[in-house]
Amino acid sequence: MIQKSDDIIIKTLARILVPFIQIYALYVIMHGHYSPGGGFQGGVILAASIILLMITHGLKDTQKRMSEKTVAILSSSGVLIYAGIGVVCLILAGNYLDYSKLAKLLHVAPAHARSLGILGIEIGVGLAVMAVMFSVFFDISRGEVSQEDEDE
Amino acid sequence: MNEYLLSIGMGLCVLVFLILYRVVFGPGVFNRMVALSAIGTKTLIILLIIGFLYNRVDMFVDISMVYALLNLIGTLAASKYLETQGENY
Amino acid sequence: MNVTDILFVLFMAGGLFFFTTATIGLLRFPDFFSRLHATGKGDTLAVFLSLVGLGIYEGFSLTSLKIIFIAVFMFLAQPTATHAISRAGFRSGLKPWLKEEKKS
Repeated sequence: MIQKSDDIIIKTLARILVPFIQIYALYVIMHGHYSPGGGFQGGVILAASIILLMITHGLKDTQKRMSEKTVAILSSSGVLIYAGIGVVCLILAGNYLDYSKLAKLLHVAPAHARSLGILGIEIGVGLAVMAVMFSVFFDISRGEVSQEDEDE
Repeated sequence: MNEYLLSIGMGLCVLVFLILYRVVFGPGVFNRMVALSAIGTKTLIILLIIGFLYNRVDMFVDISMVYALLNLIGTLAASKYLETQGENY
Repeated sequence: MNVTDILFVLFMAGGLFFFTTATIGLLRFPDFFSRLHATGKGDTLAVFLSLVGLGIYEGFSLTSLKIIFIAVFMFLAQPTATHAISRAGFRSGLKPWLKEEKKS
């Protein structure tokens, strides 16, 4: 089990830095079509911020912020957003993930609808990547606990 | 000005190869970690210089910021692991 | 050659100089704590100088603002990483290096 760090310098740095890292991750997700980045990279940066919180503040305090149930709901809702936008395009008589068909639903020009569709896809991918990456880390650190319990 | 930037970048690359000696032969795992952290900071500057040489700084600056962030998190995680394990990892 | 070019050349030369001294210290010093002492301080100052120089070269734009953000972030992160490594080394029982006469 990952213990709480007893060092005030590292804890204070993490407390200051984590909100800024999360804002930067949201920027990377939103600017995916102009600059490098996008859903996957922004999700990885979001997961890195939570892993930093877990390294410095221990497993228990992180579980209060982000429990196992929240992680499961977030990962499945990310996949649902991705597949849902694709299926909505299918229903509107287009191909799978054919964003320009969304223009009828949103009442905008087809080019604008394509940009909005890509943005929605990237939000879904970012949520799913963040939740899955954090749950992998979570399972690794919990496996350590059960082994120690068996030894005792 | 581009030649000056290119020479600075080549100097940094030579320094990275010198530090690789400490990564390969350095006694113990802690010396290797110090050397890896030093290589990470030099790589950040080299990335920005490559961006200036190719006239695409607005793309390379994002990569550089993510590199700095992951370097910090990796060093903190490794030091937390080694604090309990010691020299005999 | 105007003022910003001169400032840029000076800052980048200072950054490369401090990187070089930190590398020499990392290669030549005898034990873990003194090597950490060389790279911890030298690299922090060198990264700061190099990033400020590159920001001056870019001019006043969003990119230079991001470069200054990286400089502030490294100025917070580098000492903390050095502190964490040195603390891990001290807790795991590394002994500081002493001169030969004092050992006996």
